Amino acid sequence: MQLPFDAAAVRRGMIPAHIYNDAEVFALERERLFSRAWVFVGHVSEIPDPGDYVVRQVLADSFIVARGEDGEVRAMFNMCLHRGMQVCRAEMGNASHFRCPYHGWSYRNDGRLAGLPFHRDAYGGEEGFPRQGRTLLPAPALDTYNGLIFISLDEDAPPLRAYLGDFAFYLDYYTRQSPTGIELSGPQRWRIKANWKIGAENFAGDMYHTPHTHTSVVEIGLFREPKAEKRKDGATYWAGNGGGTTYKLPPGSLEERLSHVGYPDPMIETMKKTWSRGQLDVVGRDGFMVSAASLFPNLSLVHNWPRVEESDDVLPFISIRTWQPIGPDETEVLSWFAVDAGAPEDFKALSYKAYLMCFGSTGMFEQDDVENWVSLTHTAGGSMARRLQLNSRMGLRPDDTPLVPALPPEEFAGPGEARVGYGEYNQRHLLNRWLDHLEREVSA
Amino acid sequence: MTRATESRLGGHASTIERTGDSLPYGDERHLTAHRWLVDEAYLLDAQDYDAWLALVTDDVHYLMPVRVTTARAAGYDVSPGMAHFDENRYSLSRRVARFQTEHAWTEDPPSRLRHHITNVRTFATPDPDHLVADSAVLLYRSRGDVREPALISAGREDLLRRQDGRWLLARRRILVDDAVLRTQNLAIFL
Repeated sequence: MQLPFDAAAVRRGMIPAHIYNDAEVFALERERLFSRAWVFVGHVSEIPDPGDYVVRQVLADSFIVARGEDGEVRAMFNMCLHRGMQVCRAEMGNASHFRCPYHGWSYRNDGRLAGLPFHRDAYGGEEGFPRQGRTLLPAPALDTYNGLIFISLDEDAPPLRAYLGDFAFYLDYYTRQSPTGIELSGPQRWRIKANWKIGAENFAGDMYHTPHTHTSVVEIGLFREPKAEKRKDGATYWAGNGGGTTYKLPPGSLEERLSHVGYPDPMIETMKKTWSRGQLDVVGRDGFMVSAASLFPNLSLVHNWPRVEESDDVLPFISIRTWQPIGPDETEVLSWFAVDAGAPEDFKALSYKAYLMCFGSTGMFEQDDVENWVSLTHTAGGSMARRLQLNSRMGLRPDDTPLVPALPPEEFAGPGEARVGYGEYNQRHLLNRWLDHLEREVSA
Repeated sequence: MTRATESRLGGHASTIERTGDSLPYGDERHLTAHRWLVDEAYLLDAQDYDAWLALVTDDVHYLMPVRVTTARAAGYDVSPGMAHFDENRYSLSRRVARFQTEHAWTEDPPSRLRHHITNVRTFATPDPDHLVADSAVLLYRSRGDVREPALISAGREDLLRRQDGRWLLARRRILVDDAVLRTQNLAIFL
């Protein structure tokens, strides 16, 4: 099948503008991308106890992500086997059973069919209709990494760890600052009239927008780093199925650099024991600190260190979010605050404050981002947008050679390919993977 | 769920609570609180945030929890440990300062705002210099030419404090009526 846009142009870094608001493209994304990719649905810290559950979506499909009495985390399609009602209509809670409100079929929190009214009279009992072996449909594939729960609608999906590839090295900075790992709060949820790909691309590699879009947060003293001269000294990296941005830290030891972004000494000591030599070297030897990142297709992370009080001290925070597609021109953002579960309580509180001030529904960074993305999406829906290919070639010469070389291992200890300065390498990587999926037909 | 467990950052806030039934509508204290809320709504509509910030106390706590859909028996309907706003005077002042830069793109061009305030009732507290006021707010937010407007409906519980002869906002809890907000951001105040 011919794709409804110029695929070769995408490979060259020229992006047909209408892919950001096109029903036909969205239908292909549903059929060929979200039917196969690993999609983030939550973290084990959200459901610590048996019976705890949250309800999460993959496109239009609702899944109950629950911890069973056996301690196992499962994702079950939220549709009764009998007449298709949602058996769980809350978004979170604790339950031993889910009972369908239509005819009363009930399921244990591990998905097994437990009971149906008038089993004997209506179905002939266990001989006529055995409950044995009947469960809510499980997600075709479920796997976790550092407690992050992913599901795939493709039962033949590669193992999650293989899918992450070398991006796992960078994911650890956000989700494994100690062996305990993170705990999540939230999410805040809100809907924006913007295409889901825009946020994913932005977090993956757009260091170029920071000095302009986020001028105001520097002016009010919230964040000292986004100034243009600071941002272009950072590096972007792409590894496995994800990529991200970093800031260049001032000279100093590993401890001084972690302390520069606001980590207290006990947390630094724990990081030293938890991270690999390479992970420590990216910070301590090479002087790069992770900031925004995206894992294909629609999970993004951010790590920043604003000023949260009337003082010169900064405090780091971590946010995890998904860009959940609703339609070609609409996305639901689910934005969580994440913090190392072993961090001191006063650090957790201030880190939470830093998150609220910067990102999420009220975040002062995020507010200006979304304004841009809504405007872009709206314009991409018109007919002129079909004549325009957006230039996403930053960092490439006309003959496709990169403007700056990749950092050698002695200057960047992380895996994948990293480059200093502004470039759209990562946005191109992300859209190339997107295209890989759209070009692969789903076998009948 | 108590107020303390709804917020990680409200430890500094006043803990004064309402007493008794709502005050009669003719009561001077009710009239004072109602007028205060209406005057405030005009400031928020006009995005006159300097004047608005002058109406909050130094120990203000401005909280808007995240609402969640839970079973009736769950006993809670706000997200444990997560809010949209969980502000003190410093963070409110940064938000206001940002709107006054020339680079707060999300509100330039500005939204057209209308805060509709209704269902106001006032309660006395053990201290004559404090009143509690409940109100409902419906914010109509329109941007651009024909973009769909955003509506935010919420209930509010405010603690007003008389200080040097003026009434100021010492505590606000905003109970929004949506689990998923249908507005691009909260670059506004409720």
